[in-house]
Amino acid sequence: MGNPEAETPDLPAAQLTGPTARETQSVLLLGSVFIIATCGLIYELIAGTLASYLLGDSVTQFSTIIGAYLFSMGVGSWFSRYLSQPLLKWFIRLEILVGLVGGFSAPLLFVLFEYVTSFRLILYALVGLTGILVGLEIPLLMRILENRFEFKDLVSRVFTFDYIGALLASLIFPLVLVPQLGLMRTSLLFGALNVVVAAVALYRFQETRPYRRGFAGLMALSLLALGGTFAYAGRIQRYTETLAFQDQVIYSKSTLYQRIVLTKNQRELRLFLNGNLQFSSQDEYRYHEALVHPAMQALPQARRVLVLGGGDGLAVRELLKYPQLQQIRLVDLDPGMTELFRSNALLTRLNQRAFFSPKVQVINGDAYQWVRQDTTRYDCLIVDFPDPGNYSIGKLYSAAFYQELHRLLKPGGRIVVQSTSPYVARQSFWCIVHTLRAAGFHTIPYHCYVPSFGEWGYVMAGQNAHWRPNAGPLPRGLRYVTPTTIRQMLDFPPDMAEIPTEINQLNNQALVRYFEEDWGPYAQ
Amino acid sequence: MRSKELNSHSLSRRAFLARTGAGVAGALLGPGVLLESCGPAGSRLEHIKGGLRGANHRVGHLVRHPEQLPPPSRELQTGVLIIGGGVAGLTARRELARHGRSDVLLLELENHPGGNAASGRNTVSAYPWGAHYLPIPDVRNRELLDFLRESGVITGYDKVSGLPVYNEYHLCHDPEERLLINGHWQAGLVPETGVPAAERTQIARFFRLVEELKQARGTDGREAFTIPLDQSSRDEQFRQLDQLSFADYLTREGFTSSHLRWYLDYGCRDDYGATLEQVSAWAGLHYFAARKGRAHNAGSSDVLTWPEGNGFLVEQLRRQASSPILTETVACRLHETPTGVEVLAYDAARQQTIRIQARQVVLAVPQFVAHQLLTEVAGVVQPSQPLHHAPWLIANLTVTQLPQGPGQPLCWDNVGYGGASVGYVNASHQSLSLSADGSKVMTLYWPLCHEVPAAARRQAYQKTYAEWLPQIMAEMERLHPGLTPYVQRVEAWVWGHGMVAPTPGYLWGPDRTQLARPLRQRLFFAHTDYSGMSIFEEAFYQGIRAAREVLGQAAV
Repeated sequence: MGNPEAETPDLPAAQLTGPTARETQSVLLLGSVFIIATCGLIYELIAGTLASYLLGDSVTQFSTIIGAYLFSMGVGSWFSRYLSQPLLKWFIRLEILVGLVGGFSAPLLFVLFEYVTSFRLILYALVGLTGILVGLEIPLLMRILENRFEFKDLVSRVFTFDYIGALLASLIFPLVLVPQLGLMRTSLLFGALNVVVAAVALYRFQETRPYRRGFAGLMALSLLALGGTFAYAGRIQRYTETLAFQDQVIYSKSTLYQRIVLTKNQRELRLFLNGNLQFSSQDEYRYHEALVHPAMQALPQARRVLVLGGGDGLAVRELLKYPQLQQIRLVDLDPGMTELFRSNALLTRLNQRAFFSPKVQVINGDAYQWVRQDTTRYDCLIVDFPDPGNYSIGKLYSAAFYQELHRLLKPGGRIVVQSTSPYVARQSFWCIVHTLRAAGFHTIPYHCYVPSFGEWGYVMAGQNAHWRPNAGPLPRGLRYVTPTTIRQMLDFPPDMAEIPTEINQLNNQALVRYFEEDWGPYAQ
Repeated sequence: MRSKELNSHSLSRRAFLARTGAGVAGALLGPGVLLESCGPAGSRLEHIKGGLRGANHRVGHLVRHPEQLPPPSRELQTGVLIIGGGVAGLTARRELARHGRSDVLLLELENHPGGNAASGRNTVSAYPWGAHYLPIPDVRNRELLDFLRESGVITGYDKVSGLPVYNEYHLCHDPEERLLINGHWQAGLVPETGVPAAERTQIARFFRLVEELKQARGTDGREAFTIPLDQSSRDEQFRQLDQLSFADYLTREGFTSSHLRWYLDYGCRDDYGATLEQVSAWAGLHYFAARKGRAHNAGSSDVLTWPEGNGFLVEQLRRQASSPILTETVACRLHETPTGVEVLAYDAARQQTIRIQARQVVLAVPQFVAHQLLTEVAGVVQPSQPLHHAPWLIANLTVTQLPQGPGQPLCWDNVGYGGASVGYVNASHQSLSLSADGSKVMTLYWPLCHEVPAAARRQAYQKTYAEWLPQIMAEMERLHPGLTPYVQRVEAWVWGHGMVAPTPGYLWGPDRTQLARPLRQRLFFAHTDYSGMSIFEEAFYQGIRAAREVLGQAAV
């Protein structure tokens, strides 16, 4: 350091004679070590968590992020030799920069994930930059402090504070910060802390006088930016939606058609489409067994099945339990969905690699267009569309659509339609039943309890009434459906019993209106 | 333009003016060519491509100047010649075929029949260039029901009620209509959002009146308002409503609400291309009180529509008869001969004049065109005053996205309160695809009724594409702020004589029936001009009436 004060050699004496300005400064600098160490590790943890949230496969993400981060810190440390006097000015400059880069890392990554194609490149570039900046900090501080302590004390103290800071970060990050603040606010908060360290240094050291004014302005702006973003973090989060889920998001991507989010906790995987729960791995077997087996057990001669929707392959997994089936054709709009369930290891485990079966043909296309031009006749049609929450999807529950299905069904064949909750959406459920009837079908409504959904409804439909709950053998190994549960599913207690409704037609979209009425109170 | 038929032969005065002194060659070149252009360079509209279309002006112009025709190089003979391939002409052709008449020939000016039910198509969707829907018809209109049954629009009749069952794909899908009012899209077109209670009371009173009028019958036992309108009661208490304007009637009856009057004015502009002040009270009330359609699976306010609009029905009419149609052929002059009628026509594709000998001729063209063709024929009746034909602008916009305002999502019919146009229709509305590609074609309807028709027509013809485009975009931006960058194409079509308007006195005065009366069992007239309302049902009725007159049968 260039000023004469810094060259006064008598440090121990100063310590003995009680706190002096110089000693306070040393404590402050060591305190800075503690804070910047905490910040540095927090940025690393944020990058690792974010990468596993957004890209999945947490082991790989964490390993590579930590590796890249530590290596970049090494690069930073090496570069520190090129920084020359005045070192304190460099330190202040550096802290502001770390605060901005680290602080904005999480919001930036969340938003960019939606918009850039090579997200990994951006991620590692940001990790590298943060790492280099953080890597510069400790060597720089040690050089600032080198004349205030003996070398052995210096090394011992700096690294002690460094590691304590790391411990603190690693404890508060999962226990306090992520649950309380979320990733985005955590990142912004620690960015602000870095800037505060710079501010304290600026005001406690006399030698900063000549450049105080300029830096003060810069810091105020930085804090304002970080604070402002902190205040709007909720809105940004809602915007990116990724943090709207209770559990850890292990995959999330907006395809052309929808936003797919996969979350995971210790017990289960959950799939959300546009924020609506599609299944939980914990109890989806109930939903899919109830969807497939009541109809299929009564069709021992079935050869061909058409699945509409159901891009997760879970209904197909159940269908593959019937060896007599020769062809299962699945039509799902979103290639992003079927591709995910073909490629993600967790998900192919769940659907038992259903899409790799030679019997299965996956077509990505519009279900309505498909059924209008399809000339194949099927023994069974599984209709597993999203709930009728908008006018476009409402058309897939119309009498006109069911008339097309009528044409595709072999005599004696069965259709099953997932029909939302008969408990919550009683009008909607019975509207689907009545619409199928209006399209000329005999209907068999039934329901089952799926813990993560609640009471869930289905309608089985056929050209005749010849269906029995114990018509044929069920596949082995089912966990929910038995001849007894099938019989139970047919019973509707008074709170879900049939009520009169309109028929859902293309020119009235009665179902979409019922659905809004039924689910509206739950959405608030 | 709600179910309205525009006139099938709109002759362009602009083309006429432009051609004066330009020589005959230009007039004989053939159909008008769409010139591709784009928005003004350097402006916000520069990226928008498109052009201005119109009816086949140059060929149509020959009606006024038959002396410019080359000498005839072909001769044709036919029993019945139908001039004009709009809905009335095509219906007459179909009706004659149904009665076993095969010696029929139809001449059409454009390269495709359809008249004002013309349509277009691009990579995104088919779209209408004019008339684009048909309300659920009255079940007593058997001829129309039979046509719809034959076209697959009606799939059968319900066993219990006997009511027609309509093909759901042809019924306009829900949601049907919305109105942008006070910055909010409300469902339905009758203003509600922010309308004061006193006005709401008036609006409710008006609709009660409509319900009464729907049921009302005259002393002759006939219903007050029917479609076709010729079957309406002759009772003076109703017919006298044709003597005053709708605006005067509303004032007299205490309907002063500005929101109600806007809505009714919108209805008149949409259906008749004319304002409250310009149409008769009988016509204004007919719009509401004559809609008595019933169906097993639809209500009286439901409509049938197709991406290509009534181009769908035109194609069905065309297919349901096999007699020949000569397109790009215009009749230029008619002479009576001892055995029938001799017609000089010009075939624009082959650039030759044809002499056609017909025993009978159906003039399925607007009254003023018929009059022009019959210059040398004796006994042609003149109207006491010219018919009111408002010009229209139709624009088809291809957009990649539609910035949405608050409220009701995109509907089939989308109207802005207080707007100069009558809103746009989403041509892609009947699509069943969930496909994420948001490209759509929207058809903007704009009756140019701010001035008397002749002046408005002259202005419309003189405007270039570069002048129309900012006007169209300003109107669309009013409905969808920020739309401009998403617009890829804007094609515009000016209909010079868009449709006849039922001005006071025309519907039940002497002119209308006299003009439609056949001459010497040789010359017959079929056009909505003789109904005074340009709707599909009337064009269809006029076609059948003329065909039955040809066949010597009683009218429908």
